[in-house]
Amino acid sequence: MKKSILPPVIILLIAMIVGFILWPQRITGDTQLILTFHPVVGNQALVLNEVRYDNPAGEGRFKIRSFQFFISNIRLTGDTGEYVVPESYHLVRFDSANGQYVITLNKVPRQRYLEIEMGIGVDAPANGTITVSGDLDPNSRMAWSWDVGYKFVLFEGGLVLGDTQYPLVYHVGFDENYKIISTPLAADLFKENITRLDFQVDILRLFDGANRVDMSQLSNVKFDRKDAKQFADNFPFILTSLPPRAP
Amino acid sequence: MIAALGAIIGIFDPARKPTPLEGFTAPFVFGRFQIPASNPLTAEAVELGRRLFYDPRLSADNTVSCASCHKQHLAFTDGLETGVGISGKPLAFNSMSLANLLWGPRLLFWDGRSTSLEEQALMPVQHADEMAQDLDLLVLELQADSHYRELFDIAYSELSASAIGRALAAFERTLVSANSRYDQFLRGDITLNDKEEWGRKLFMAHPDVKASLRGGNCIDCHSQFLTGGFKMRYDGFSNNGLDEEQDLSPGLGQTTGNPAHRGLFKVPTLRNITVTAPYMHDGRFSTLEDVLDHYNEGIKWSSTLSPLIAEADNVNKKALSRISLNLSENEKKAIIAFLHTLTDDEFLSAEKFSDPFLKNGKPQ
Repeated sequence: MKKSILPPVIILLIAMIVGFILWPQRITGDTQLILTFHPVVGNQALVLNEVRYDNPAGEGRFKIRSFQFFISNIRLTGDTGEYVVPESYHLVRFDSANGQYVITLNKVPRQRYLEIEMGIGVDAPANGTITVSGDLDPNSRMAWSWDVGYKFVLFEGGLVLGDTQYPLVYHVGFDENYKIISTPLAADLFKENITRLDFQVDILRLFDGANRVDMSQLSNVKFDRKDAKQFADNFPFILTSLPPRAP
Repeated sequence: MIAALGAIIGIFDPARKPTPLEGFTAPFVFGRFQIPASNPLTAEAVELGRRLFYDPRLSADNTVSCASCHKQHLAFTDGLETGVGISGKPLAFNSMSLANLLWGPRLLFWDGRSTSLEEQALMPVQHADEMAQDLDLLVLELQADSHYRELFDIAYSELSASAIGRALAAFERTLVSANSRYDQFLRGDITLNDKEEWGRKLFMAHPDVKASLRGGNCIDCHSQFLTGGFKMRYDGFSNNGLDEEQDLSPGLGQTTGNPAHRGLFKVPTLRNITVTAPYMHDGRFSTLEDVLDHYNEGIKWSSTLSPLIAEADNVNKKALSRISLNLSENEKKAIIAFLHTLTDDEFLSAEKFSDPFLKNGKPQ
């Protein structure tokens, strides 16, 4: 019986040594942060190129041909420090095979972060240059001419009223419409090798947020600053964070 | 003597490595580009690709080369509505200009049916109406030529169909057109005249009556610096209102199987557009005036028509029955004046892109 006491003591000792060696890494190591954006249109799934959604603020039914927008300057903040994602310009679009948009951030230092902050659109300094950074590309569909900058949100489609399909064109940018949003984070995140955060993107709220935008009355928004602002004030409403997934 | 000795040593030195291509540059406004790791840009690969590009041995009866439909002085087009190859039958599409292929849509051909230059290059070679060449026979034919054997050995360590495709792709990647008057303007070397500058502004603007902005709407599909289609996914493909619903060609839909892609075609570069007539995927317009008239007052409605074209108007749109940009005659002329600044004479005559089998325009 006496013999059997020794191995558990040794095992405990080894575990303590291993634990001691690994401990600093548990607080200073890295995690891979995966942000996934899931699109919806109100309570329906996003299906491109089909007339299947009701105009949320007026008459008619509409289809979405293209929807894409920039998320910029992702930053994690907490009481022990912050992590600023470098070259953080991400073109969110849902025309991939699985219909989601994923941002993978490798080597995010493990800390207790309290909030995630991100911009919808492009910050003024970046919006005023033609330098390629992240997904910012002055030869892309999101670029206007270099003296105007980038579209922050692009929505193109068609509204069917009676027998007629009217084009819908919402190209909305301008420095004053850059929106920064902060989302609180659950306390037990960033402890594993992979950390997942999920966001829902409700496209319908572009037309029904701080302001109601009736597609049948305002079927396009481009360079009129008042219209652009009214539309852009709805940007923050499209994003909501989803509860953490089971690991 | 020394050169001959060097050549002999070169042939017999099994370790002779390809040399990275020197002096290859591009304007930063064109943006980032990627050379595939499986096909690095080397001097030997490019030299080999140029030789193959101009070599009629790539066709079944040794009469047709890539350059038959892609002539340098026409910015690598052929002046025909649609290309004509070995069979003499008109092909399905207009021969596309080959310029600045490192940028823009990753899908090649008007209907996007190829995903890489390496793959694309071998398709016309094998097509029954284009060059009708069997690739295995082509490899045997080229192996009989010691110069080809040497070049392939240095560039790719093998003479194979894959190496032929890679060499053609390497040469095509060097076809950079970046010294037009527009490029000189972008570099700050020259100013455009008033008419060209007016045209440039119209080119770069989607019209917005509410914001008192007049525009030609070109930039909605043709990027501001490259003046070609956009790079990502299918962003570089558009239905630009050439046909009514019942007459729509399959277009990109042929490749993707997506009915929403019916009638969409690749947006071509407008670099050297003054020498690449006739225009559109089927060469239906013979002049730039015809093209401007189409965009201004000839758009045909269909369910896949770009909403950007349907919506664009320089006066308040009253009804959709007549889609029009409503540009003035002088505005159309200004846009054409700007399009003339995209011609790059250096590109159209550069020796490094010319037929290596000719010397001073004559066979060697």
